[in-house]
Amino acid sequence: MAFSLREALNKNYLRWMAKNAPPRDEITLNRKNIFIVPTRNGLLFIFTSGLVFIAAINYAVSLAFALAFLMVSIFILSIFHSFNNLNQLTLSSRSTQDVFCGEQACFRVQLSRSPKRRHESLEINFPNSAAHPTGNSTISYTDLAARDTEEVGVFTVASQRGEFKAPRLRVLTRFPLGLCRAWSVVDLSLHCLVYPRPVPFSMNQLDSGASGGIDSAIKREGSEDFYGLRDYVPGDSLRQVAWKSVARGQSMQIKQFVDYVDNKIWLDWDMFYGFNLEERLSRLCYCVIQLSKAGNVFGMRIPGSEYPPATGPDHRKKLLRALARYGAE
Amino acid sequence: MELNYQIPRPALIWTLAAVTLVLLPQSIRMPIWISVVALLCVCWRALIHNGKLDYPSRRVRVVVVLFTLIVSLLQVRNIGIGLDSAASLLALGFVFKLIEMQKKRDIYVVISLCFVMSMVAFLYSQSVLTTLYVVLVITVTMGAMIALNRSSSAASYSGTARLAMKISMQALPLAIVLFIVFPRIAPLWAVPMQAGVNSTGVTNEMSPGDISQLARSAELAFRVQFEDEVELAHEQLYWRGLVLDQFDGVTWRRTRNSSSYSLAASLANSRVSYEDRIRTLGEPVNYNVILEPTQQPWLFGLHLADDVNDELFSGRNFELFNDGRITQRLSYDLRSHLQSQTDVLLLDSSRNRNLELPDDVNARSLEFARELRASVSTDREYVNSVLAHFRMNQYFYTLNAPLLGANRIDEFLFDTMAGFCEHYASSFTYLMRAAGVPARVVVGYQGAEMNPYENYLMVYQYNAHAWSEVWFEGEGWIRFDPTGAVSPTRIELGVQEALRDDPAFMEDDLFSAAIFGGVGWLNTMRLRLDAIEYEWNQLVVNYDEDIQLELFEGLLGEVTKLKVTILVATLALIVIVGIGFTVINIERRIQRTPINKFYLRVCKELAKVNLVRRKGEGPIAFRDRVCAERPEFAEAVTELTDLYVQLTYVEKSVSEAQKKTDLQSLKVVYAKLKTEMPVLAGLRRAG
Repeated sequence: MAFSLREALNKNYLRWMAKNAPPRDEITLNRKNIFIVPTRNGLLFIFTSGLVFIAAINYAVSLAFALAFLMVSIFILSIFHSFNNLNQLTLSSRSTQDVFCGEQACFRVQLSRSPKRRHESLEINFPNSAAHPTGNSTISYTDLAARDTEEVGVFTVASQRGEFKAPRLRVLTRFPLGLCRAWSVVDLSLHCLVYPRPVPFSMNQLDSGASGGIDSAIKREGSEDFYGLRDYVPGDSLRQVAWKSVARGQSMQIKQFVDYVDNKIWLDWDMFYGFNLEERLSRLCYCVIQLSKAGNVFGMRIPGSEYPPATGPDHRKKLLRALARYGAE
Repeated sequence: MELNYQIPRPALIWTLAAVTLVLLPQSIRMPIWISVVALLCVCWRALIHNGKLDYPSRRVRVVVVLFTLIVSLLQVRNIGIGLDSAASLLALGFVFKLIEMQKKRDIYVVISLCFVMSMVAFLYSQSVLTTLYVVLVITVTMGAMIALNRSSSAASYSGTARLAMKISMQALPLAIVLFIVFPRIAPLWAVPMQAGVNSTGVTNEMSPGDISQLARSAELAFRVQFEDEVELAHEQLYWRGLVLDQFDGVTWRRTRNSSSYSLAASLANSRVSYEDRIRTLGEPVNYNVILEPTQQPWLFGLHLADDVNDELFSGRNFELFNDGRITQRLSYDLRSHLQSQTDVLLLDSSRNRNLELPDDVNARSLEFARELRASVSTDREYVNSVLAHFRMNQYFYTLNAPLLGANRIDEFLFDTMAGFCEHYASSFTYLMRAAGVPARVVVGYQGAEMNPYENYLMVYQYNAHAWSEVWFEGEGWIRFDPTGAVSPTRIELGVQEALRDDPAFMEDDLFSAAIFGGVGWLNTMRLRLDAIEYEWNQLVVNYDEDIQLELFEGLLGEVTKLKVTILVATLALIVIVGIGFTVINIERRIQRTPINKFYLRVCKELAKVNLVRRKGEGPIAFRDRVCAERPEFAEAVTELTDLYVQLTYVEKSVSEAQKKTDLQSLKVVYAKLKTEMPVLAGLRRAG
């Protein structure tokens, strides 16, 4: 019951937030979007002022009354000061790098101020919410004291492949006295593209797979690239014997070299027959990474689109993005 | 993440400073070993921070808790449950918390205790100096709070201090308003004040040397302000304290029938009614006394002082008592009939008490008194001849009286012949009783110093005095001061004048009134400072329910709960809003340069042809949109916008002349744009 109530409240809160704090690229904080509540330390402080007040009553000490009132007004002032520490702070989103699923996505947020103001001890993170149950993300700390602008990276785990919309960002401050915390939850429409999670596997497996596998592009027995070792068969050239392992006391082995005759490799959706969608994408993703690392020229065919063989970082990015967006349309 | 819960170095230094400051005044009253423990704890914490020592282990903490328990039990046994033991315990717990404070949250406990300890400081003293000191302590404590929440290591100590001061200054107005208007509440339950504090001032016993001890102190005893511009001569200012009527050969004591002064007073009053015992003559004098804490219940006033507000108790011998010891400055209003007579009819019990003498000592004095009494006819003549004896012979008024043996009165009267007022009062009273004249010793203060800035009198401890009261048939108790016979200066001009050359006078005080008195501007400063203290006391320390009620009545007429609530709420709201506006500096509208204004005019023109710049749309975004929507403007708008952006955002701090030419070049581009616009606008309208 309590849980459902909480959920309902949360839902209402989110709806309210969506209505009142629509996503924007640049948001300036003001009295409409800053919230303030006392911290636990603030409550302790108020409790202490109550103690002083009771002592003042009982001992009838005039200045103890004054002290209690001073504490209360310090508390009220701390509300103003905390508010002021966020007021007129401008947040704007910066471009975000694509990430692989399961990695930390780093959203760049730029904070700027008007030169007359100072904003200290700002804590920025993605708070836990019903929409993003990944838990509180790591807090990034920053100050806007010396410079007018400051760029902060805010991290959260990208847990799902595809277009990732970051949760609402929370800017929080306890400055100056730590008696209350002022915060604002803003939607800077931070988003990034999440590639499938690469799943490593031995690419040799593909040998026995469908045509168009990697090894089909290899002509055996060449002299260009080292491929592997095999057992010595009488008649092999002695120049190819792996003498180092013989010296270690192992049996004689022959170094195999291959020449890549047809470097135009095709990655095909059907190479991973039997895997489900995400697993296929993950493996394809791994292949793309590995092949571009090796500098191969390769193409990719996935249902609905075909990417002709090419190489280089742009090609890699194009393919990864295609994998990330697969199924989204 | 974990690191953030650690205490930053500046915060620790601020906290240790605040703790040291808050314990410093307390250390005077605490047992010395607690101060030592406190100092050790502060050092320990500092060393923990430097990595030289570790946090206390579990075993150490258990030992510390046991230790504190034992100490608290001992404290209660030694000095009783009271403010002192509570304050010491609080201090102990406070410093122990210090060494085990590891996280930010722990610091807030220490900070809260700092505020509680500041409150304790006010329980002991509410002087201007204490107040300023507490303000300093609070500012440092706030510095600790700020340093704790400040992440930037660049933030300097002076910056933190400035912010702390700023916040405390901003907090003051609201605190003052609340202080004035927030309804005061009567004490919820009785609290025991301290029993173990050393009492100051005149006591209910007088042995030789007691009063001369007081004369070494320049501490203020009380302040007095007369109503209606009454001015009394110095020799009239006898501040009556207690009547001592029991003598054992060494010490004069006050006779008590029961343990409680107030009870004794009420019992005595019931036997013979108060009105029957006095005969008031002349006009009364009204005055207000502000007594410094004495830790004793008795009060001081002029002859036959009568409590105006009916809050005090009157003793059997017209002494005044407070209900309970005076641990705080006490202000009371009195009315005195200076010419009135008391106890014209003396009860036998009272007569006998005032004639009692110890047996078997001071035979010479006894003999001397009887002979002298026999030589004159009336009691009054006898008194005069005794005073004449003091005046004619080589008696000295001095603080350094020689030590006396078993027959004190004899030795003083006939051998040493040098002493302070207690010697004279004591021997004079003895001589009276020896001759069968009822007499008693009165202790209190004599004289005062005028503060010309606020027109009130200051009575110091060195004004402490002892004199005698002698009973005459048909006249009642009459005051006689044998000291006046020996040293008339003492009574007419004051003790400073009488003891000007006595090195022992006020020797306890380095910066005494006597030394200040010699230097003109120093003395002015001393009087001014005391005047401030007096005003402070009148305005702030004495501010209570009654004064508040008067204030409310002045403001609101008839006082009702609703009216007071509305008053408090409105005033607090006004002040809070006022402070809010000063703290939250509202953003001014951006100053517009001519170039800015010009650009806005261009935008207005463009709006006429349905190219409205959206709210928050930057010039470049606007340019791109215009180019997309109306390619025919593209060239001119692009040129204009680029120039504008160049002038406003890229080139800064150019000379005035340069700015003018910039504007000129903008206008040229605008002219180009304008040639195209009307045509278009016309086309639109036609279409």
